[in-house]
This record gives sequence, C-alpha cells and structure tokens, in this order.
Amino acid sequence: MVVGDLAVAVDVVVLGAGPGGYVAAIRAAQLGKDVVIVEPKYIGGVCLNEGCIPSKSLLTAADRVWRVQNSAEMGIIAKDISIDLPTMQSWTDGVVGKLVKGVKQLLKGNGVEIVSGAGWFMAENEVRIEGEYGAKRYAFEQCVIATGGTPAPLPNLPFDGKRVLSAREAYRLQSLPTDVTVIGSDYISAEVATFFGKLGIPVTILLPAGVKTILPNFDAGVGRHLKSQLKKLGVTIKANVDDPVQKSAKASLVVISNGIVPRTADLHLHTAKVQLNDAGFIEVDDRMRSSNPNIFAVGDVTGISNMAAQAMKQAKVAAETMAGNAAQYAPQAVPKVAWTEPEVASVGLTAKEAESAGYVVTHGQFPMGANGRALMLNGGVGFVSTVAEKDSGVLLGVTMLGAGAADLIAEAALALEMGVTLTDLAETIHVHPGMSEPVQESAEDALGSVIHILHKK
Amino acid sequence: MVEFKLPDVGEGIFEAEILEWLVKEGDTVEMDQTILEIQTDKAVVEIPSPITGTIQRIVAQPGVMANVGDVLVVILPKGESATAAPPAPSPPLVATPSTTPLPDRPSAPATPAFKQQPPSNGKSAKLMSPQVGIASAGNRILAAPAVRKLALEMNIDLAQVPGTGPAGRVLLSDLKNYTPQATPVPQPTPLASAPPPVAPPPAPVVPTAPQKPILPPPAHISTEEIVDEEPLRGLRRRIAERMEEAWRVPHVTTFREIDVNDLVKVRKSLKVEAEQRNISLTFMPFFIKAATLALRDFPYFNASLDMENQKILVRKYYHIGIATAIADGLVVPVIKHANQLSILEIAAELTRLRTLAESRRLAADEMRGSTFSITNYGSYNGYMGTPIINPPEVAIMGVGRIQDKPVVVNGQIEIRAMLPVSLSFDHRLVDGAAGEQFMERLKALLGNPNLLLMELR
Repeated sequence: MVVGDLAVAVDVVVLGAGPGGYVAAIRAAQLGKDVVIVEPKYIGGVCLNEGCIPSKSLLTAADRVWRVQNSAEMGIIAKDISIDLPTMQSWTDGVVGKLVKGVKQLLKGNGVEIVSGAGWFMAENEVRIEGEYGAKRYAFEQCVIATGGTPAPLPNLPFDGKRVLSAREAYRLQSLPTDVTVIGSDYISAEVATFFGKLGIPVTILLPAGVKTILPNFDAGVGRHLKSQLKKLGVTIKANVDDPVQKSAKASLVVISNGIVPRTADLHLHTAKVQLNDAGFIEVDDRMRSSNPNIFAVGDVTGISNMAAQAMKQAKVAAETMAGNAAQYAPQAVPKVAWTEPEVASVGLTAKEAESAGYVVTHGQFPMGANGRALMLNGGVGFVSTVAEKDSGVLLGVTMLGAGAADLIAEAALALEMGVTLTDLAETIHVHPGMSEPVQESAEDALGSVIHILHKK
Repeated sequence: MVEFKLPDVGEGIFEAEILEWLVKEGDTVEMDQTILEIQTDKAVVEIPSPITGTIQRIVAQPGVMANVGDVLVVILPKGESATAAPPAPSPPLVATPSTTPLPDRPSAPATPAFKQQPPSNGKSAKLMSPQVGIASAGNRILAAPAVRKLALEMNIDLAQVPGTGPAGRVLLSDLKNYTPQATPVPQPTPLASAPPPVAPPPAPVVPTAPQKPILPPPAHISTEEIVDEEPLRGLRRRIAERMEEAWRVPHVTTFREIDVNDLVKVRKSLKVEAEQRNISLTFMPFFIKAATLALRDFPYFNASLDMENQKILVRKYYHIGIATAIADGLVVPVIKHANQLSILEIAAELTRLRTLAESRRLAADEMRGSTFSITNYGSYNGYMGTPIINPPEVAIMGVGRIQDKPVVVNGQIEIRAMLPVSLSFDHRLVDGAAGEQFMERLKALLGNPNLLLMELR
C-alpha cells in the first residue's frame, strides 16, 4: 500500500501548533479525544518562535542595557557597556528552545500525535498532509484550524528581508542598524521602537495618515505620556504621515507593523465548506465553530484578535465544545498591553468608550509619582486611571502606564470579570510599598476618598 | 437605547430563525406590541416589544438563525434622544492593539452581528461572531466567570436571574436557586404550538381475573422509588399553560358512530383519480368539507366568545386547523377559507401544508387564525376521544379510525364501515341540543357523500 492511500481515522485534527493549535490539541486530548496536530514549521508557532517570546526576551535584554546605563542617579556608574547581539540572540533562542521543548513534551504526554507538514482539506472531513516524508491523509470527526497569520506588508513597500522587515524579522538581526524607522501605530510598533531605542539606536516612528498618536486604541492620555517617555530613548514620533514610503526612504532599516493576513490560502477551505468573512478571516461563532459545524477556527485566522492569550482561550472553547461541553468565547475583560518604556496596559472601557456605550461614568486617577515603589523603579513615571459606572460604582475599565503594568493589569482583568465595584477595590488591602497600590488609590480617587493625593474638590 | 436580545424560550432551544419583522426601522412601537415572528425548531413565536419606543435598527434580518442572547433589534425608548448613544453591536474594546490598519489595508473585520445562514448546512451554522468586551449600559450582566460558565452549562440566560450581590451581581447561589419561570419581560406567545387537542380515551375496564393464590412479590424488585425531577420549561410549559387556559372553557363532548360505507367507496374511486394528479386523497378533505358545511349551518360553532367585552364574534370565514403530528411534536396548519375549496383542492393544500410541516417550513401565517379545529386520532388507531377546545375557538371535532363493524341495517346485521366522531364544544355558547344538531348534520353529510357533491363549487 502506498503511504497516503488510506485515510487514518482520528477524532480531531488540529492544523497549526501555535498557541491556538497546541492548546486546542492538549485540551481536546484531556477530554478524551484522539488528536493529531499538524505543523509545517515549528511547534509553538509564531508566538513561541518568532513573536511573543523572542520579542519580549529581547525587550528584557535591551531594558537591562538601558537601565544599567541610566542608573547614575542611584550611584551606579556603568562604563564600557557593550552589546553582543549574537549572544543576546542565542540567549533568546535558549528561552524559546526551553518553551518549545516543554510544549512538545506536553503534547506527547497528553497523547497528541505530532505530524510535520502542511495540511489542506480534501473533503469536509478529511485533510491531506504534505510532509517531509510523503503525504498522509486523516479523516476527522472534528478539526481546528489554527494556522495563524503573517505580517501584512505595506502595499507599495514589500518586505525584502534586508532593509524592509516585519517586526518578527527585525528582532532577530545579528547586527544593529544605524537607525530605524518604524511604520505603524500599534503595540508592535511601539515595542520595536522601545527595543532599538534602549539599545541606543535612533528611531523614528511614522504614524499612518489620520493617526495622531501612538497606541491610538488606548486611553488618549497613554499616547501623550508615552510619546514623552519614548523621546528619552531617542524615539521621535511623527503623526499623520501621508507617504510613509517616501518618508522612510533614507532609513537604513524600516520595520512595518500593518496587521495580520490570515494564513488560509492553501487550506482549500471551500472544499471543507468553511466560509471566510469580507476581510478574509474565517467566520466563527461564539463557540469558535466555522460555517462547517465540525470545523473550528481559533487565533489569527479568525481575525478576532492577534493576541496569543485570546487564541489560547478560543482554543479551550473549541476543544470543550468539540467534547460536548458548554463553553463560550465571551470574555468581558481582555487585557491589552505594550511592553514599552514604561509599560502600558489597559482592560475594559476607557471613559470615552464607556460614555459612548451608554454609561454614566465616574473616574479616578492616581499618579505613579505619588507611589513609593514607582519612584524606586522608574522615578514615578505613569499613572493609573479607573473608570466606573457612576451610580453603582461597578468597575468598567482600568488603564495603567508604569513599571510592570503588563503584569499589574491582571488584578483589573479579574476585577472586571468578577463585576467588582470601586468599593471592592478600595476595601482590598494592597501591598505597601507596591505597584498595585495605585490601582486601589485610583479607585479611592473615583470614590472621593483617596489618601495620598489631594482630592480635587 | 435598548438592545433587545433573543429571549430564552426554554426547552433546550438556543436558536431561532428570524421569520418576519412586523415593524420597520423608524416605526413607533408600544410595549407588548408584536414586532417579530421567529421560528424555533418547535414553534413559531411572536416576540413582543419590551418597551415603548422607536425601532432604531433591525439587527437580525429575516432568514438568519439567531442565538439566545443575540441582539435582534435596537429600540430607542420613548422620550430618549437618538443621540444618547450610538448603537454599538460590538463594544469598541476588541483588544487588538495591532488592528489599527494603515489606510490601504482592508480594515480589520468589523464583527457583523449576524451572517446569513449558509443554505448548505442548516441550523448548525449559527455564525454569530463572538462578543468580546463589556456590554453597553443596561446590557451588562454582572457575574463572575465561574457563574457565567455554570449558567452556560445549565442553559440558563443569566439576564433572567435576579442577582442579590452588590450592584445586582448574580452570585453562584442566585443561579443555583433560580428556577426558570415566566419572565416579566417579553413573553413569547406560541402560535404553532397549539396543544395536542386530544385526551387519551378512557382505559377499558379490565374484567377481574379469577382468584389465584397470592404469591409473594418477586424478591428482585427494587424498593427504591426513583423520581426524576425535570424543570417544566419552554414548549411543554406553554402547552401546560394553554391547556389550563383551555380547561377554563366548560367543555361538553358528544359522540356519534357514522356509517361511512358510501364515503369509503367514493373516496376509493376518487383516490385513483387524485393520484393521477399527484394528490394524496385521504378522508380528511371530506371531513373538512363536511365540517365547513355544518359550520355554515350552525354559525355559533364558528364563533368566539369575548367575555371581557361581552360579545359573541361570529366568524364568516372558515379556517380549519388540522392537528398534524410531525417528528418533533405537533403543529396545526390551517386550511384557509376551506369552504371555498373543492375536496381535491383541500387535499392538495393538506399535502402541501403537511410537507412543509414535516420540514418545519410552515410560515407563521399558515399556522394561525383557525376558527375550528379537527384532530384525527384515528391515524394513531385511536377510536374515541374527548378533544380539548383550542381557545378562542368554540368547538373541535375529533375523528377516530374507520372500522368495519357489524351493524343493524333494516333489521339485518351487516358489515359497515363505521367512523367514530366526537365533538367538544364550549357549553357557554352552545347548548347540548345544538351540539347534537351539528353532529346530525355531520352524520348526514358524511353518511351520504352525495350531499357533499351538492355543495361542489
């Protein structure tokens, strides 16, 4: 018999082993399914191998460089600091490698079969895998598409692998450029600028036409504040740039962040009766089910978000639905963060968003400068602002800018999901001195009972 | 601005097809005014407006499958300005910092609330995009994630559960103590779910068996008395309510055995003719025809009693409801203006309606407005029954199975085809004598099909 002649019957085929795919595979296996996961490139997907993990590793390394160089006022005078970028990269590879190995072990330990290759649909219930060692066919009961996405290029400035790079590529350079121009306004753009800025490379950010501030989908105060902080790193932000191609023509390195194109082209989705929406993403319902009820989609291919954390949640919903359990993708709180200098994080609604959603709001704000721990960590840069429904005091959103904000936002996310009130936050003892105190104090500010600043009458 | 969502109609129904909007955008509606007809897999349901106001936006278009909780329509409450808050089907928080696309890129997927249901696979493709983030004011349900998960598992709409926590937060205990009941807000009215208008025939009296020695009960019989407790929900609850309502009508039931020997012959000979026209000719068209003629002669049987306004509404049209069992339950398609149709036309209409009923494609209009009903328990071998009136109708006719019986004809015992007929009527409006007269008329018409011929149009 020729390999590939006969389809192997399995319960679940997962296409793609990124954070959406591997979590779906593991959860489905935990729930008793016979699972095959198909991955053409690497276990862990973009998140582990090209995206979240390498970028945050490198941001951490760059942060240490910058922090040591800027500790003179503490009495730490750093001389002759040099950056060995290849070593920094191999250290990053080490972090990535440990995590990838861990995911592989978890897949195997849960009895998930890993198949190397690219899969596409031959029928509504069958995929063909073109792999290194020939083709295989799997007939599935259910399938999860988690094939992710690729960075969208600028229409007239294609990626060339040398001067014009996606963020994923820019992080993995083996030598530093003399200057960098970033085109984009999102967290990826802001983080790339932070990375090169902290390594001492001059950076220019070109915000697209019509965009007036970096991180435009955060509270308006964030972009303003961040701009002045990034300036200290040598990052210049130019707003509302009509022709970024021309404006970046002289840059030695151009990094573009223009969103994600879903990776669906080679899947033969029509064969599987899986429909795309107008923007080209796979249309799903709140159970992550596509127009084919046996085929699910999670992560970047759905266009709901390109955040790994959301892909993982969607993956669990898909797996649990496949197993017949009740599950729904309906998070109330989705924290969004940017590992900039300082870090930015928010969850829920801004005051403006809450008002346009029909809420009568009250809000409080607390400056990091009035917090002891913040003064120690970064001189007290940043703030926490809190938005709540006026009458009930029910929390609607929290925005923070400051050291460790990306981790601190977790309290606010839980608070929102739990439906807490400002009083709940105010009544909870927070560590002193600690970066979580400003959350409590901004809630107290909204209640008119803040201690460490003078409440505006 | 009120987003009106598909209410939980219970009985495991979590989706419904939008049949018809009875209002259009910009229309003014009164509270409880019927604005929409939906079809669940059990019944057509009229949805009343929850408030008095103006239809701002119709979200769910006819033909789509909507899930419980999906926004169907946005209504601007009376007295509220249209500019108060823009209708926001998906809150602005989609937590994708990278989805601020540059101008040339197709914009990030706007999460359309509803997608047209693909024709290929029926109800499973309910592509209501996931709702991410905090709902708009008035629509947010405060409940911890664990409570929301349990509600999903229990198939309970949290919006219906009164919360006892701070700011009305729904607690785990609230959910556990909740028993679904008539919701104060829009109460769906069943249209096609008319209760099976037939009570089981009385059990025959079993002759006492000769005395035998009393044996001890078998030892293996379990002494456990197990009771499965099921919530009374949805369609079953409404049937129960409707039956209770119907039972308030003082019923009286009268019976006849009608010699239909001639009718059997007539039908047999016409059947072949009908088959050539691709029409299945059962006895029902003859019953319907006879009923319309009797109704014409005895108008009160085709009336309604309006006690509230102290009126008798005598209907001058003849819409005959036919209780029809389908795989999922019972529907009552209506032969409209049956008096104007020939027997063959009635037969064709019956076939058409039955085919639609079996595939649950009956339009709402085809299942309501009956002025008199016929139930055929004979198709299940029932002989005699006491049908329950379907208010506001006044009477219902029940037909049993035609059987060859020995009967006395002119002093001789002959084998004749006998049709058992019952007639239940509202004794407030119809006296016993009138009931018997109606029955005699039926008996004459069905006993002598030539009389039916006379009424041919």
